[in-house]
Amino acid sequence: MFRSSATRWILGTAIFVTGITLLRYRPWHPPTREAVATEGVVRDSLTVGFLPVTCHLTCPVTDFATRHSANTRFDSQRFTDFPTIVESMKGGRLEASFMIAPLAMKLREQGMPVKILYLGHRDGSTVMVRKDLPARDLRDLRGKTLAVPSKYSNQYLVIHKLMDDQGVKPDEIRFVELPPPDMPGALAAKAIDAYFVGEPFAAKAELDGSGRVLYYAKDIWPHFISCVLVAHEKLIRERPSVVRDLVRGIAESGEWAETHRLGAAKVAAPYFRQDEALVRFVLTQPPDRVSYRMLTPTDEDLGQIRDMGIKAGILERRIDIRDLVDRSFIPTDIKAANIDAQ
Amino acid sequence: MSQRRLNVRSILLPVAVFAAALALWDGVSRAGFFDKSALPAPAAVILAFGQEIRSGRMFNDLVTSLFRVTVGFLIAVLLGIPLGLWMGQKLAARTAFLPLLNFLRNLSPLAWMPFAILWFGVGDASAIFLICLSAFFPVVLATMAAVANIPAVYFRVAETYGLRGFEKLVQVTIPAIMPQLITMLRVSAGLCWLVVVAAEMIAGRDGLGFAVMDSRNGLRMDLLVAEMVVIGVIGVVLDRVLERLSRIPSVRWGYER
Repeated sequence: MFRSSATRWILGTAIFVTGITLLRYRPWHPPTREAVATEGVVRDSLTVGFLPVTCHLTCPVTDFATRHSANTRFDSQRFTDFPTIVESMKGGRLEASFMIAPLAMKLREQGMPVKILYLGHRDGSTVMVRKDLPARDLRDLRGKTLAVPSKYSNQYLVIHKLMDDQGVKPDEIRFVELPPPDMPGALAAKAIDAYFVGEPFAAKAELDGSGRVLYYAKDIWPHFISCVLVAHEKLIRERPSVVRDLVRGIAESGEWAETHRLGAAKVAAPYFRQDEALVRFVLTQPPDRVSYRMLTPTDEDLGQIRDMGIKAGILERRIDIRDLVDRSFIPTDIKAANIDAQ
Repeated sequence: MSQRRLNVRSILLPVAVFAAALALWDGVSRAGFFDKSALPAPAAVILAFGQEIRSGRMFNDLVTSLFRVTVGFLIAVLLGIPLGLWMGQKLAARTAFLPLLNFLRNLSPLAWMPFAILWFGVGDASAIFLICLSAFFPVVLATMAAVANIPAVYFRVAETYGLRGFEKLVQVTIPAIMPQLITMLRVSAGLCWLVVVAAEMIAGRDGLGFAVMDSRNGLRMDLLVAEMVVIGVIGVVLDRVLERLSRIPSVRWGYER
């Protein structure tokens, strides 16, 4: 009896494992992620990492735009946090991604050969405060708790610049690190008094009615840079034409998003898996909350971020910005991508 | 008759508790104690659930997670049981390896996450690695303890009958530890399912755990709860299936007191 029961269980397990493996890999489906063949022409393809934040919007838009184009196919891979992106790049399995600028600098400082090719967007971050707080500027937040996404975020650096400007000492505001998706909820529950984050996590509190805008990033630092497009030097060396297509694709998607805000929200929302209304709100209320123009990184901008990073203690040495940036792939004529968002 | 009443009760009572929990949830969400983004209403969750089913994403995530858990668990069992058998039989092996195993057992799979990505990338392999890690050490230790605790008289009898090596293993050792082995399989399978959310945080693009993190990033609490419900239901089903192992006639002795 035991033997037959054992046989039954082993057989059952084998059938289950086979079945679930078949369902997982669907060998009857052709592979879609490798080089895609269109009309007999095998196209190059590249996976680019992004997070579901407005700052990385051009990444899924480029994915959408290159689905049926003749050039390189860009497959946008959504991640849930920056550490995973970094570890994937270190492991050599991801060669290009969007990430926050100080993080790219930190990687370079640690000897990882990455280059900044382009910017994600300008502005697009917001300081939110609880609706019931009468705060009018940062001085009113003395003794309060302010959440930032991470010490490596530009938001953390920029808020220190503003504190300097307003004469607020570093220990007068209590900083906590929170994952951006948890910030609107924490503000609503009054666990924090304010937060500074990239969109759409700020707009969420505004839409829900639990927070109000204290500063737009552009009020603190016009043309604020949050995220950058980063590629591994190996990719740049071995597949320069793909990199050229990528930067052009991102640039043209940005130009398109700048002028087709509603369409951009419609295209990006499914990639972000976010409510389209929320993305639309960020892109339109007000329209200059986010900008997808002037995305060429300048030495001056990046140098400023680096120096603030050193001052805040997150970077250790003055890396040479010229080693970090490669502007040679940026096209001189940026036309809006030809995208049909319907 | 009383058996049938028992059966009916064993269905009705849990259903009643679930219904009450659902009603309580609905009541709390209607009362407005929490903002609707902090506690989605059951109706919103059902809508989100329908949306996920129709898009096929829920099925895909479910298959992916089940695949990873099954493979991770099986690898842990296939490697862990032989190692546990060996360590249980050899005092020297126990003395040598136990401290290291205990050390590794106490490291949360979360701590291994960066290495999982560095070594295996994002996708099936890294999630399977983490799931396997979470089950492997409990399997080894439980098997080892079970073997070490077999009364010596069993082996003396076996020797009297001239059983040695493989025969002794199959006819004495394994049957003797079967009840503990099955309990251990149930516990560690549950453990694997429990860490699926953590393991799949880094999964890349699919899996229930990834979907949970993704819904969180997408500020979609309704989707998140729908996925939590699925994870919970599968956990229950998994345990019911493995519970049947303990009904195999030749191991029932281990459970009846």
